[in-house]
Amino acid sequence: MTITRRATVQGLGIGALLPLAPRLALGQPTGILTRPIPSTGEPIPVVGLGTWITFNVGDDPVLMEECAAVMAAFFEGGGRMIDSSPMYSSSQPTIGYGLRKLGYPERLFSAEKVWISDAGQGGAQIEASRAYWGVDKFDLMQVHNLVSWEEHLPALLELKAAGQLRYVGITTSEGRRHREIERVMASQPIDFVQATYNILDREIEERILPLAREKGIAVIANRPFREGDLIRQIEDEPLPEWLAEAGARNWAQFLLKFIISHPAVTCVIPATTRVDHVRENLEAAGGILPHEKLRRRMIDYVEAL
Amino acid sequence: MSDWGTYTLADFLMFSPRVYFRLIERYNQEFWPLQLAFIAGALALLVPAALQVSRARIAVLPLFALAWAFCAWQFLWTRYASINWAMSYAAAVFFAQAGLLVLTALLPRSPTDAGGLRRHGGIGLAVCGLLAYPFIALVAGRSPATAETFGMMPDPTVATTFGAMLIVGQKRLWLLLPIPIVWCVYSGLTLWAMEDLGALAPFAAVLAMLVVLVVGRR
Ligand SMILES: NC(=O)c1ccc[n+]([C@@H]2O[C@H](COP(=O)([O-])OP(=O)(O)OC[C@H]3O[C@@H](n4cnc5c(N)ncnc54)[C@H](OP(=O)(O)O)[C@@H]3O)[C@@H](O)[C@H]2O)c1
Repeated sequence: MTITRRATVQGLGIGALLPLAPRLALGQPTGILTRPIPSTGEPIPVVGLGTWITFNVGDDPVLMEECAAVMAAFFEGGGRMIDSSPMYSSSQPTIGYGLRKLGYPERLFSAEKVWISDAGQGGAQIEASRAYWGVDKFDLMQVHNLVSWEEHLPALLELKAAGQLRYVGITTSEGRRHREIERVMASQPIDFVQATYNILDREIEERILPLAREKGIAVIANRPFREGDLIRQIEDEPLPEWLAEAGARNWAQFLLKFIISHPAVTCVIPATTRVDHVRENLEAAGGILPHEKLRRRMIDYVEAL
Repeated sequence: MSDWGTYTLADFLMFSPRVYFRLIERYNQEFWPLQLAFIAGALALLVPAALQVSRARIAVLPLFALAWAFCAWQFLWTRYASINWAMSYAAAVFFAQAGLLVLTALLPRSPTDAGGLRRHGGIGLAVCGLLAYPFIALVAGRSPATAETFGMMPDPTVATTFGAMLIVGQKRLWLLLPIPIVWCVYSGLTLWAMEDLGALAPFAAVLAMLVVLVVGRR
């Protein structure tokens, strides 16, 4: 997908400043916040859209329409990155349905995965995914959960060199195989790493986030709400009085603001079935971001609940 | 790989309960009133079989093969697999079970007579599978349109199959029971992960069948 003028302007407006002076950009009200993908400088909005479970609706026409409406609101609100995987059953055709319906928005940043242990089948799987989405090529292809990464990565890097992909990455979640992720980050020319990061699961702060900064690797934070469990656990608890200081209006935004205020995080990809939620989530990509001291306070507050 | 311990049941659930039960609703609506035909057909064979009418007993295995094949084709393969890729494999396994039922029907039969307890236990299980199972939807607080019935949905088909095997004193059970038992565990765990009360039913069916089998041993 080509970069839209609007996205570029946003990127120069705030995102481009981040790697140099993250604090400078914090605390300032703005439109949708972007961060540059370190390997190219291309700005990407800090809030994307996940599709695990939420977009796996089979051929249910009512639910497919709901997902298309979520995608419409996502693009309208300035979102770009949609993340999926062949593991997510019908999520890929659902995305394809929404994209067709919306006329393939230029803003789309397609993030897919290859997930097959027989690496010889990787190409065929990517082609099947591409056909489901109905795009010419993917922006980002990630090796899902490090499955056969030793074989998949060289093939993906070749596709990138041939111009059939724009970025290459790897993923994990829920703290699994972090040492191996670090080894890949240290030794392979990848553009993206995806791992779980939220206010309670902060292990990647120790080594993966610093390594990402050092190596110039973009970071996608998955499971911001622990698949919704986190929100369900705390939604009836009182919101802190200083909520507005964190730039949030509700719990979902509070949790998202925590994630995106880490300067090494490039974007977060909450999944949702609801238009009001996708709007709320995108709104978290605007306004002020909590500073370091406030981030600590946010952790303490949630941990004490 | 050493990270299996970090997975929970919910990590394997790739669809929401809403999507799953809507799928069943739409499936039921599409085929209504075939559900009644399946139940009536099974009763028409199992009642005389329970009364030891030998011709009815011969027809039991082919009818059950048909029910398994229908579940495999229309539910697992055509519908459920769209939200759960693992179900394309399950469909193959269900077709294999249908094949095993046909194969067993073709093998020479020695005249058998199920012991009283097994027969009565079998009748109980078949009645549950055919007539009580559809009401689990209501007990679980779901819409009646999500009712699971014999021949249409795997779980009641399995429960009724257990009952029928016990009623006719089926030999070579080691061949016919592994697939249904494994299915019940899978289905029970899936419903459990969705926090649906119906999760208890597949486990109860296996347990009841095994208890009747063991206690009714002669
Ligand atoms: N190994 C991997 O590569 C990997 C692993 C895990 C996840 N991921 C990616 O990361 C994405 C996100 O993770 P996730 O889907 O596991 O979980 P998540 O985004 O942490 O949580 C999704 C849940 O949060 C709820 N939610 C979303 N926005 C909300 C809001 N504003 N208010 C209240 N509730 C809200 C949604 O419910 P509603 O539908 O009601 O909004 C949904 O049930 C995935 O979809 C996937 O793309 C990748």
